[in-house]
Amino acid sequence: MTGRRGERERDRRALPALRGSQRWFALLTMTRLLGAVLAIALLLAHRVTHHDPILALVTLAWTPLSLLLLGRTQDAPWAPAIWALDACAAFALVLAGGDWRSPFYTFALTTLVLPATSLPWRKAVAWGLTFSLAYGIVALLTEKLPDDTLTNTIRLETLATHLFVPVIVTTTLAYSSLLLERLRTARGQSERLALQAERQRIAWELHDSAKQRVHAAHLMLTALDGAVAGEQGRLLVDGAIGELRAATSDMETSVAELRTPLDGRPVDELLRERAKELSRTGVARIDVTGRLPVLPPLVAAHTYRIAAEALTNAVRHAGCQAISVTLADGADAVTLTIADDGVGMPAQPRPGGHGLRSMRGRAETIGAELHIGPGPGGRGTAVALALPHPGGSP
Amino acid sequence: MIRLLIVDDHPAMRAGLTAVLRAEPGIIPLGTASSEEDLIPTLNRTKPDVVLLDYHLPGADGLKLCRRLKRAVPAPAVLLYSAYADGAMVVPAILAGADGVLNKSAPAPELFDALRAVARGDRVLPPVPRELLEAAGTRVDPEDLPILAMVVDGTPVVEVAEALRVEPIDVSRRLDVMIERLRVEIAAV
Repeated sequence: MTGRRGERERDRRALPALRGSQRWFALLTMTRLLGAVLAIALLLAHRVTHHDPILALVTLAWTPLSLLLLGRTQDAPWAPAIWALDACAAFALVLAGGDWRSPFYTFALTTLVLPATSLPWRKAVAWGLTFSLAYGIVALLTEKLPDDTLTNTIRLETLATHLFVPVIVTTTLAYSSLLLERLRTARGQSERLALQAERQRIAWELHDSAKQRVHAAHLMLTALDGAVAGEQGRLLVDGAIGELRAATSDMETSVAELRTPLDGRPVDELLRERAKELSRTGVARIDVTGRLPVLPPLVAAHTYRIAAEALTNAVRHAGCQAISVTLADGADAVTLTIADDGVGMPAQPRPGGHGLRSMRGRAETIGAELHIGPGPGGRGTAVALALPHPGGSP
Repeated sequence: MIRLLIVDDHPAMRAGLTAVLRAEPGIIPLGTASSEEDLIPTLNRTKPDVVLLDYHLPGADGLKLCRRLKRAVPAPAVLLYSAYADGAMVVPAILAGADGVLNKSAPAPELFDALRAVARGDRVLPPVPRELLEAAGTRVDPEDLPILAMVVDGTPVVEVAEALRVEPIDVSRRLDVMIERLRVEIAAV
């Protein structure tokens, strides 16, 4: 029950993040359709030019076409070029109308929606000002000089209104967009904090309760040392002690994981940090080369733990002098290789050593291929992890 | 014969420790306590030689209790028993007057040896790494640094007071302040 409710809640919370830009596109669609209807109605109701039906047809065709084009390119880095093109098209319609007091004015205003809400606010305001300036030029190009002063005053006033409205529209939209963005950031932050608190609680429970029991069991078993007769019995006790030690270290890892999640930091940065930490112990030199792309959170967490475990193993058990970590962002796969020049893998796994098993489990969880074997030239150990590329199909 | 009092808030740990220590010759577990309130009457009644003290107890931390135990006359030897894997607690433990620090993951024979050692009056403390001591030094008042250095070195409080020409109670107060400052880091673990 709670699980399903939790899921639904998460879906609801995920919506705004997903729809941020789509919402502004919906506003664009709405206003542009309205602007087009208004333009066509005005063209048909009043005789504006000698070619009104053609202009109406062009508007009818351009409106859906422009929306399609803008929608397709909304998130592209060169989207501003399309917005500029869109504005030029609207200006062309105004010019075709032959007068700056144009039926296409509202239509032209709608070209401001995407730049105002997508650009940083300073650039958005600059865009709005440029629009006004361009409209002023259009006005100059289509102006017919009036005869008397009163008409002149009214014209000037109307022109001023025409030139101010774009600036006001752009500023308002940019401001709303900024506020929404801040709101979203704040909400994201509070969610992260809540998640963090929950993690701390689980970590504490693991540490406080489960681990204490394991310690007690471990203590009792180790007290049996010497009291157990027979090879078989001693093997069993040693096995149990090994398991309990592994359980403790598993719990420590989980607790550490719960307390210090990756927090959205890139895996390669964390790995470099970990490598530096381990180098400081003076056991081996660790070089990290290459970089990784941004990975989804779960994949990132498991990838980091696999690599960190491989590094720890190399430092602890390989007896090596140098460890090289190679990160590569290939076309089909993202690969991590951790190779050392040490003694290589033992023929028998260490008792209580669950590291390799947990690495394999993690790799399986994220659909990655893990290969552990002799290093280059048969020396040392190499751990190679290949992840499906995050840019590929999900 | 070592007369021992066990202080741990977790029932599994109390039961396990009692069972294991009862079976060990030369060690007599006198009883157990699960909290500070429990501990004081039991302490007065049993007068143990050694107290095996869990580091983390509800409502009170092991460091404060350790200070309190070490002020009792006669003061029992205190072995701080902790599930924390890191060494960050060693410096505050020394300041609190603990005779020993042992990780809960240590096998039973190690526990027996540690208990015997503190009962003899020895200290069972892991060596304090230089960085750890330096880190502690940056967190305390600069004027408390001589006290920190001497106490970590094993100098008794009375001698520290003599060397600095102050009353032992003043040194004690400074120690309380230092423990409080160093404790924050452990509580956040």
